[in-house]
Amino acid sequence: MDGQVLKLWKLLAISGLLLLQTGCWDSVELNRRAIVSGVSIDKGLTEDKRYSVSFQVIVADEITGKNSRGNAPVALYKGSGRSIYEAFGNASRQSARILSLGHSKVIIISEDLAREGIRDLMDIFERESDMRLSTLVFVSRGQRAEDILSVMTIFGKIPANDLVQKLETGNRSFGYNFRIEVDDVIRGILAKEGGAIINGVIVKGDLEAGGTKSNLEGIKPKAILKNAGLAVFKQDKLMAFQDGTEGMGLSLIHNKQKEYPLLLELGKNESATFSMFKVHTSVTANAKDPEHPVIYISTQQQAALKEYNGSLDISKSSVLRNWEKLLSEETKKEIDAAVKAAMRLNSDYIRFNETVNRVNPKGWKRVKGRWDTIFTQCEVHIKVNTLIRHTEMRTRSLKSSGEGVE
Amino acid sequence: MKKKGQSNQGAPAGGSGNTATRAENQAVLNISNNLEQTLGNIKRELGSSPDLKIRKFQIGSAEPVWVAAVFMDGLINAVAVDEFVMGALFDNSADAAEEMPREPQERLQLILDRALELGEIAVKDDWNDMMLSLLSGNTIILLDGCSKAIEGGTKGGEWRTVAEPSSQIVIRGPKDSFVESIITNIALIRRRIKSPTLWTEFMKIGTVTNTDVALLYMKGRAEDKVVDLVRMRLKKINIEAVLESSYIEQLIQDKLFTPFPTVYNTERPDVAAANLLEGRVVLIVDGTPFVLVVPTVLAQFLQSTDDYTQRFDSATLMRLVRYMSLIILLLGPSVYIALTTFHYEMVPTPMLISLLAQRENVPFPAAIEAMIMEAAFEILREAGTRMPRAVGQTVSIVGALILGTAVVEAGIITPVMVIVVALTGIASFAIPSYNLAVAGRIIRFGFLVAASMFGFYGITLGLIVLIAHINSLESFGTPYLAPLSPFSIRGQKDTLARLPMFTIDLSPEKLGNMNNDNKSGNDQGTSDSGKDGRTGA
Repeated sequence: MDGQVLKLWKLLAISGLLLLQTGCWDSVELNRRAIVSGVSIDKGLTEDKRYSVSFQVIVADEITGKNSRGNAPVALYKGSGRSIYEAFGNASRQSARILSLGHSKVIIISEDLAREGIRDLMDIFERESDMRLSTLVFVSRGQRAEDILSVMTIFGKIPANDLVQKLETGNRSFGYNFRIEVDDVIRGILAKEGGAIINGVIVKGDLEAGGTKSNLEGIKPKAILKNAGLAVFKQDKLMAFQDGTEGMGLSLIHNKQKEYPLLLELGKNESATFSMFKVHTSVTANAKDPEHPVIYISTQQQAALKEYNGSLDISKSSVLRNWEKLLSEETKKEIDAAVKAAMRLNSDYIRFNETVNRVNPKGWKRVKGRWDTIFTQCEVHIKVNTLIRHTEMRTRSLKSSGEGVE
Repeated sequence: MKKKGQSNQGAPAGGSGNTATRAENQAVLNISNNLEQTLGNIKRELGSSPDLKIRKFQIGSAEPVWVAAVFMDGLINAVAVDEFVMGALFDNSADAAEEMPREPQERLQLILDRALELGEIAVKDDWNDMMLSLLSGNTIILLDGCSKAIEGGTKGGEWRTVAEPSSQIVIRGPKDSFVESIITNIALIRRRIKSPTLWTEFMKIGTVTNTDVALLYMKGRAEDKVVDLVRMRLKKINIEAVLESSYIEQLIQDKLFTPFPTVYNTERPDVAAANLLEGRVVLIVDGTPFVLVVPTVLAQFLQSTDDYTQRFDSATLMRLVRYMSLIILLLGPSVYIALTTFHYEMVPTPMLISLLAQRENVPFPAAIEAMIMEAAFEILREAGTRMPRAVGQTVSIVGALILGTAVVEAGIITPVMVIVVALTGIASFAIPSYNLAVAGRIIRFGFLVAASMFGFYGITLGLIVLIAHINSLESFGTPYLAPLSPFSIRGQKDTLARLPMFTIDLSPEKLGNMNNDNKSGNDQGTSDSGKDGRTGA
């Protein structure tokens, strides 16, 4: 029995040693890592350096540490190569620590690269296990993508986070940009008849000053990151940027807009501005004849009066009912503009193809190959239903008689 | 170990073993007709201990007879000896003096019948029995010319009085706790269960200490099978000394190589009573306030009296908190290690940045850091437990300073690690049962190693092994994970949650069901593993 115990101990000791032999698998201490917050991809200067990739790396000490030296909170490492991974390798060599992509928030693609097509470069973002499919994708509008990553920002210190937050805050209330992730982009590219939509981004102001601390020293920042339009693609090639009504319409069709402002012109110098909320859009189709599908876009929305300078008595429901009609017309115009734009560009990034496929899968298979011709001749019916919920804290405006005069 | 095993087989088990070994040493002693000789023998056997008191006196006026009262000072109730033994003998024997018979046997009978005013009386004719009785605190009355002794129950002496429990504290509930006296302890339980079905058996364990062990169960509620098993295992014990109930616990437990306790212990009479009502067996060992309860299940170690004295909703919440504490205790540091060294992408970015900044100038890898801190914490806790009360304050101050502030200031340990270790430490105190908390503390280190080698993968593997191990445990025929595995809907009323009182009845079916589920396999299994456990020891 003593022998057995001894044997057991020997076995334990040996297996313990074996455990040490393996090393620690892929264990990496945190202070051996450089956390990448954003990646930008530009066109390389020469043929053998096809991509020029920049990595925005977080300098944790500058952000929270007591050991802050008062320097920039992030650093940009840049590398170029024939593929993105090669560029990544080249950039890594400049860094004392392991560039870790697990926390990348944004991927920025330069406009000229996007116009040439992004199919090749999206592969790594899905394949590389460190990256997340939920990383947001942007197109730098007319600027180099690395410039977007080199702007000091006022809130949060990390520019990539600033960009993400701007997008989310904007989408909540006013802007028409919405979250577009790697996953969405890849799905857009893969649809033969359609294309991807990617948010545009620009640096407004002084590019040079934007990258230094002087950007933050004054009350007015010298350069500021800004979402700018939606870049629409035909498959993987950028076709145009859509701003204003078209952009808003696009966001509405995708049912991504939960709230937005709408202004009604009511004659000379008179207008009413509303905040639209609880906006919901659904797209259906009648595709019994897949050669001539009819698309129905239906939007439900509620409105609250935010600003009014006219003289109408808005305590009367007839006035409000009339405005509701006008509001519906406005929204309809926005959606219509977006649909027209897509048809003009002949790219079904508004996903009518999916709708037709859903209601008539067999018919869809027949017309699949010719969809780009059918798409442009689709009959589209837009129906908007608006309900004015309330007029906020006042009824009549200051201009209307009987109130606020004395 | 081998030697012990052999002697085990050689000596007859239990009480008869005592007499056998005694007889070897003191071959020919017995109670003699000659009073002087008997007294001399007693003195010699006890090495003339000064606490042995012998009071010799004469009774009867016509033909006085020498009588001796022998007792151990400090073990007797002095009042009882003075009044009811000596006093009674003098008074009553004087009354009876006229008719004092000549035959020694009849004199003995007369004293028994007429003279002694004690509730507990017996006649001993065996030397060893008499000596054991003497050493237990009884008074031995010897008559000249008679080869028998009278044993008068005068046990007494100083005991700690019933006080508040020190290790199982509750907010609301009875405030008494067991003491070191076995009789008092049984009385504390009997006061709670005034039922004739509460049965008690006594046995003496320990060839030298002759410690009283009481086996309590409720006839009809406790399964006979379990009672028999407990009795059998107690009988098998061959040990010289039993100084605490843990001696018994370690000798009757089902499995030796497990950190988990398979015998429950408590110092609360209300807990013992509740367990008796649920059909469990309670073992009380003389000389310790901790009684044993078998069979037990893991869930029991996470229950507290408060679960039943508080409303069911708060009781359920508190119980869930305890389960959570157990998980934190087991996995706290290892999850932190896994997150920071393997799965940094799982940490939210702002938190990661703060962790990064903290780790910036720390010299050790996170795993080593955790080991250092956990070890430091264990040292501190051990020091705090053994420290004389007067210096206890110092330990906490020094500990808080060293672990809390100085280590971080010096840049040796990251503040987050201090948080993690402190949280684990506090979690270990939230577990009501000390021995389960200790098990958790041991296993925690295993998980720490697994996590530092393989990250969450290692933790997952560790958890699989751990659960498989717990599932393999049994306590006197009851699966350790019951009623979770084997699953019983009835048992769920009082396991993770505590449902309102009216849904819970204490009837022993709760336990019985589990045993019945696999009645056939279990008997064999337990007795086998029981044997293994002991031979391993």
